[in-house]
Amino acid sequence: MKNAPVFLFGLLAALTISWAGIVLGSHAQLGALAPYFDDGDQQSYPFRQSGIAARGQLVYAELGCASCHTQQVRRPGYGSDQARGWGDRQSVARDYIHQIVPQLGGLRLGPDLANLAARKPNAPAAEDLMKLLYLGSPTHPAYRFLFQERQISGQRSLKALPLAGRDAPAANYEIVPTEQAQSLVSYLLSLNHAFVYPEARPAPKETKAGAPAHAAPKETPVPAAAPDEKKKTEGAKK
Amino acid sequence: MIIAPTNAVSAEVSPVDVHARGALLLLLASSLGWLVLSGILALIAAIQLHSPAFLQDLPWLTHGRAEALRETAFIYGWAANAGLGIGLWLVGRLGGNLLRALNWTVTGTVFWNLGVLAGLVGIALGDMTSLPMLQLPRYVQPLLVVAYAAIALSGVLAWSGRRVDSTYASQWYVVAALFLFPWLLTAGQMVMLWAPMRGTLQAIAAAWYAQGIWSFWLAPLALAGAYYIVPKVTGRLLPSYEFAPLAFWVLLMAGGWTAGRALVGGPVPAWISTVAIVAGMLVLFHHMVLGLNLRVVLGGTGNALSFIRFGLAAYILSGVLNAIVSFRVVAERLHFTFAGSALDQLAYQGAISTLFFGSIYYMLPRLTGRTWSSGALIVGHRVLFIAGVVGAVVSLTVAGWLQGGYLLDGKTPVADILGNIRGPLLIATASQLVMLAANLLLVVNFFQSVCPCRTADASSPGPFRQPSAVEATAT
Repeated sequence: MKNAPVFLFGLLAALTISWAGIVLGSHAQLGALAPYFDDGDQQSYPFRQSGIAARGQLVYAELGCASCHTQQVRRPGYGSDQARGWGDRQSVARDYIHQIVPQLGGLRLGPDLANLAARKPNAPAAEDLMKLLYLGSPTHPAYRFLFQERQISGQRSLKALPLAGRDAPAANYEIVPTEQAQSLVSYLLSLNHAFVYPEARPAPKETKAGAPAHAAPKETPVPAAAPDEKKKTEGAKK
Repeated sequence: MIIAPTNAVSAEVSPVDVHARGALLLLLASSLGWLVLSGILALIAAIQLHSPAFLQDLPWLTHGRAEALRETAFIYGWAANAGLGIGLWLVGRLGGNLLRALNWTVTGTVFWNLGVLAGLVGIALGDMTSLPMLQLPRYVQPLLVVAYAAIALSGVLAWSGRRVDSTYASQWYVVAALFLFPWLLTAGQMVMLWAPMRGTLQAIAAAWYAQGIWSFWLAPLALAGAYYIVPKVTGRLLPSYEFAPLAFWVLLMAGGWTAGRALVGGPVPAWISTVAIVAGMLVLFHHMVLGLNLRVVLGGTGNALSFIRFGLAAYILSGVLNAIVSFRVVAERLHFTFAGSALDQLAYQGAISTLFFGSIYYMLPRLTGRTWSSGALIVGHRVLFIAGVVGAVVSLTVAGWLQGGYLLDGKTPVADILGNIRGPLLIATASQLVMLAANLLLVVNFFQSVCPCRTADASSPGPFRQPSAVEATAT
């Protein structure tokens, strides 16, 4: 370590090798992932994000929602994601290829949202999400600054929140979501990991070795489940 | 800020110290400002965890933003400034020549801090990147690379222009941190912000970057101080020192590969977390040698050494725990829970902050030629801070363990879990408060000690109990 050029070169090599291995290595493996074209459906998955959903993802990112919510479903049998209805298959890299800033997150203080629009038993409605954002809950802060209280001029806005009782605004006033809130909710309702890619199917070996305690492997009719889930996908898009 | 030494302490205060005093005090003073700010933000973020409605009407302090602000103020404010101040001082002393290019250091420090400030404002206004450990908006990042290079220049020159040909462990660690961080930051922001990679590859790069902050930058800076101060204060040679180069290279070579621990079970190639398990085990060799080398710390006394002792214990413990939680069996329960926050507290507060405190307590009297203004404040800082760290780590571990159990059973609704772990989270908040109070004691003591208004106390026996005899053992 006396020779400066050699020492500095060694340091740089240490950094570069780990960068090349982890970052470039995974890039070589996944960087060219393309959408999967399903012959039966005659369309590609995942869907491209709509403009408003893409904007909503930026709102999600800059509010820091990822500090309490993850967006990565674990595989059946690893954790309880399936039992909680968060998803019947694990999230795979292909799910995220259209996302500008994937929000994997690291802490599950709230539920996982990767598959919110196809959650079981039922996905939340836009109205519920709006109300949660406006009113908060004992475990969720309220984001009132994403809403606007304004006087009703003429007809009540179609977007106004249906609030009653204590939460309702003064007479002749209404609470309308700002553009931020609308795009955030559109984004949340666009999150759908229902389509089962080939790489997301459980490996056959795991199927045999799967612990009997988990409701999964043998019986899971993966291809059969797909069409019925796809309907939800389309429903959620509207 | 030029302060004339008030005591004839030539054996301890070298011309290197006198020459670098202004620049290094600027770094230390800035670091302490950020330390307090990040402590306040940590308190806010901790309260929001058990009382989500806290400050919910302030858009710039949503929990996510408070958390990002805290992390940024801590890493890029406190740890960067303090680590650079300590690192430059170490290579200056060990190099034996006056530090060169200090005007670059001062300019760099000013711009670095302005950059961090602008970044924090950006985060508060909604420009955070949402990448862990790299929340700073991308528009300040090029500035930070340049400012860092300007600060670090003086350290690299001090090392390459050193008087003695042989080098010491502290020098390797400092030079590694000074030299590698700009590369790390550049490589990180390139693939995540300027030419973002596709989909989850961003998360992989973010995990690598976050691990790099530890392995290539902050851990080396913290260890450099320990390697310098422990033999100086104890007056003993380091046992098994011949293994120190191996420990150094293992940390650098294998450290970055442990990044995949953050992605276990996620939508990334499985080999990433498998490699992380292997690398985590390899890095344990580094921790083992560190323990062997620095075990003489157990025999010493003094303020600096008490901090360093705790810091090294936390450092080694965090290495072991990180290796354990990277296993998939353990991660099934503990991943996505507060156990991760507990490990962060252990690593960044327990190890990095504490080791930096130890170095600062040793360094400041030598830099100014005067004692710390209050010994009681030092003891208060130590007791409170260590209590705070232990409280935070233990309570968050308990919270994480319980949370992991509830998440795993699949029946407890997610909304109920928070209520069930409220107790430990309240203790974690109290611990943040204690740490903040402790750090305020340090700030008061620091500014009292460096204040030019302080008059010389003729009756005091001089700032250094240990005579210059121990000086010889360091190199």
